[in-house]
Amino acid sequence: MPTPVKMPRLGESVAEGTVGSWLKQEGDWIEKDESLAEIITDKINAELPSPVAGRLAKILVQADETVAVGVDIALIEENADVSSTPAPESAPGPDAAPVKSPERADVAVMDRQSASRDSNGSKAAAQPARIGEEERQRISPLARRLAREHDIDLNDVPGTGTGGRVRKEDILAYVEQRNAAPSAPLPQYTAPAPAPVAQPAYTAPVAAKAEPVTTIAGPDEELMVPSRMRLAIAEHMVRSKRTSPHATTVVEVDMTNIAKWLEKNKEDFKKREGHSISYVPFVMKAVCEGIRKFPLINSSWTEDNKIIIKKRINMGMAVATDAGLVVPTLYDADQLTIAGLAKQIAAIAQRARANKLTVQDMQNSTFVVNNPGTFGTIISVPIINQPHAAILSMDSVVKRPVVIEDDAIAVRSMMYLCLSFDHRILDGAGAGGFLQATRQKLQSYGREIDVY
Amino acid sequence: MTAITYLEAIGQAMREEMRRDESVFLLGEDVGTYGGAFKVNVGLLEEFGAERVIDTPMAEAAIIGSAVGAAIMGMRPIAEMQFIDFITCGFDQIVNMASKFYWRSGIPAPMVIRGPSGGGVKGGPFHSLSPEAWFFHVPGIKVVVPSTAYDAKGLLKAAIRDNNPVLYLEHKLLYRMPELREELPSEDYVVPIGEAIIRRPGEDMTILTYGAMVHQSLKAARTLEEQDDMSVEVLDLRSLVPLDREAITESVKRTNKVLIVHEDTLTGGVGAELSAILAEDLFEYLDGPIMRVAAPDAPFPYAPPLEEAFLPNAGKILVAARKLAAY
Repeated sequence: MPTPVKMPRLGESVAEGTVGSWLKQEGDWIEKDESLAEIITDKINAELPSPVAGRLAKILVQADETVAVGVDIALIEENADVSSTPAPESAPGPDAAPVKSPERADVAVMDRQSASRDSNGSKAAAQPARIGEEERQRISPLARRLAREHDIDLNDVPGTGTGGRVRKEDILAYVEQRNAAPSAPLPQYTAPAPAPVAQPAYTAPVAAKAEPVTTIAGPDEELMVPSRMRLAIAEHMVRSKRTSPHATTVVEVDMTNIAKWLEKNKEDFKKREGHSISYVPFVMKAVCEGIRKFPLINSSWTEDNKIIIKKRINMGMAVATDAGLVVPTLYDADQLTIAGLAKQIAAIAQRARANKLTVQDMQNSTFVVNNPGTFGTIISVPIINQPHAAILSMDSVVKRPVVIEDDAIAVRSMMYLCLSFDHRILDGAGAGGFLQATRQKLQSYGREIDVY
Repeated sequence: MTAITYLEAIGQAMREEMRRDESVFLLGEDVGTYGGAFKVNVGLLEEFGAERVIDTPMAEAAIIGSAVGAAIMGMRPIAEMQFIDFITCGFDQIVNMASKFYWRSGIPAPMVIRGPSGGGVKGGPFHSLSPEAWFFHVPGIKVVVPSTAYDAKGLLKAAIRDNNPVLYLEHKLLYRMPELREELPSEDYVVPIGEAIIRRPGEDMTILTYGAMVHQSLKAARTLEEQDDMSVEVLDLRSLVPLDREAITESVKRTNKVLIVHEDTLTGGVGAELSAILAEDLFEYLDGPIMRVAAPDAPFPYAPPLEEAFLPNAGKILVAARKLAAY
């Protein structure tokens, strides 16, 4: 009786996954926890460990195909006799999986990449070519050797060196992540498996791989094949806009006291703590305060039209890395002091930039604070990170002449907080109330601030 | 016991070796009555007499040539160059005689040529030379470059006892540097020629260096740790010929990035050879290009601001190390 391998849920809001490539061919022997396939989602790329030891009897979902979480993607014959290699012809996947009967004839001896392309049959020809090995020009000699030793496809490794060069730490981080994958939760074994039919909202992946449209660059144009991460971000953004009716509202916050405190204490703090402190932990702290007063901000609209209010405040923070945008999670942000938040922010940002985020880092967030202000923006209209109810952007703190009490004009450090919210869950009153509470908290600080 | 300077360590080594072995003697310009231009040899004339501490005419070819003659007759001469820059006058005696004698005749030429090298003391173009690359290239002569008082003594003793000609390059900037004072063992010791030493262990990058640049590299490594959270290994080569390839290999295999630092000018310097060795033997262990920090290819300047700009220092090492780290 073959054991089915299901598409794992790699991240909370992830309802589907793409098989990036199969690391084993049908008929190959695989150990328990050995990497079976590479799974790509918009949150994370991970290698899928085999749940059992046995022979890979049948691949049900080919490389580059996307299926819903919980769908069977392969069958593994446990305790298979070594000699009984042929894959069972009679094992169609569960109903919804887009199973094709792959041609098995001549793929066995091919290398993994060409095999995964060829076994796609005609479909492979229609889709944009994968980024070729030759396009990855920047690799240190050491990284190349390590990749060979660990059997890593360099196309899968984002480079963090100058000009995107893949270097030692990138490979080691990748290997670490791959090794960590077996411990990644595979909730389909404990939670009731989701209906194998993908939710309607998710059926039109942006990549639109099957469409026979082929874009050709004109004489003054250059055709760029987006990375998987770019595709994933694109898909997520379109899906978010389609899922939630976005409304955005803005408040202006007087950050003068915090700005002055930072100016005075920033250096000492860094010397003492070993990492820096910025406006972000102050804003996160205030957001937690706001959420306490308006818990609906920390909720999700469900597929069956209910609202789930999240008791834990797990703050997603947007981090720009060389590879693209990631939103790792700062767990239980409301339990931390401002200094504690600063420490976690520094640690997570460092992991993100070093490409060392874990699956755990990439799931369970309930709200996002985004800080485009570092780029000097003054107002932004963020897109909600699904399935959250809202997202907050903090823009630059800039000095402006402001009318204060007694109609006097003073120079104050001002910042706009921009909240995009899901209008299904919240109305202007709730969103505005939350912003009001957040602003009040931020403006409540005096000259002396105890961040501990 | 008192902590002694790098300069005193050199004097001690000569005194102890002359006491230990009667065939050891010193010759050079002003080495006797005056005690040496930098007073390295103070007291030697009084203790060992004019037959073993010989003031010579200003003729380096004669000094080195006499040393070669004495060496092949069974003596162990130490030929002092008043400034190492003047070694060029004795070049023929070194590269054609001393280095080849054993090869030609089977008779060893155990001798030491030593003298103050290096810049940073406003000595100008004729008193600041780092001449190691010329002799590094010549088979048959060993080259050592001590960077601490302990090594200054131990390497000189090893050089005197070695059966080959040894060029011993002491750095005049280190002579009386207070932070290099240290207490040395009271018992006899040598620092074996051909053994490098890790001055500071690290994991992210190796700096290969020697001589006065060891101290600049250490300074840079400390800054990199404090400001960049980088762990930089500083490997003091100590011997340039023979090179401790084992230590270099061991370090580079661990850190995967190499910065070479020397005070001598860049082109055709020791760093060029180190770089070639690394590229040939350890290419697949390198996670970035082999980088060098060295003096520019120009004669040594006299004007203090120019000298400052000319010499490698911790600041220049920092810039290169950061670039390499980001690679």
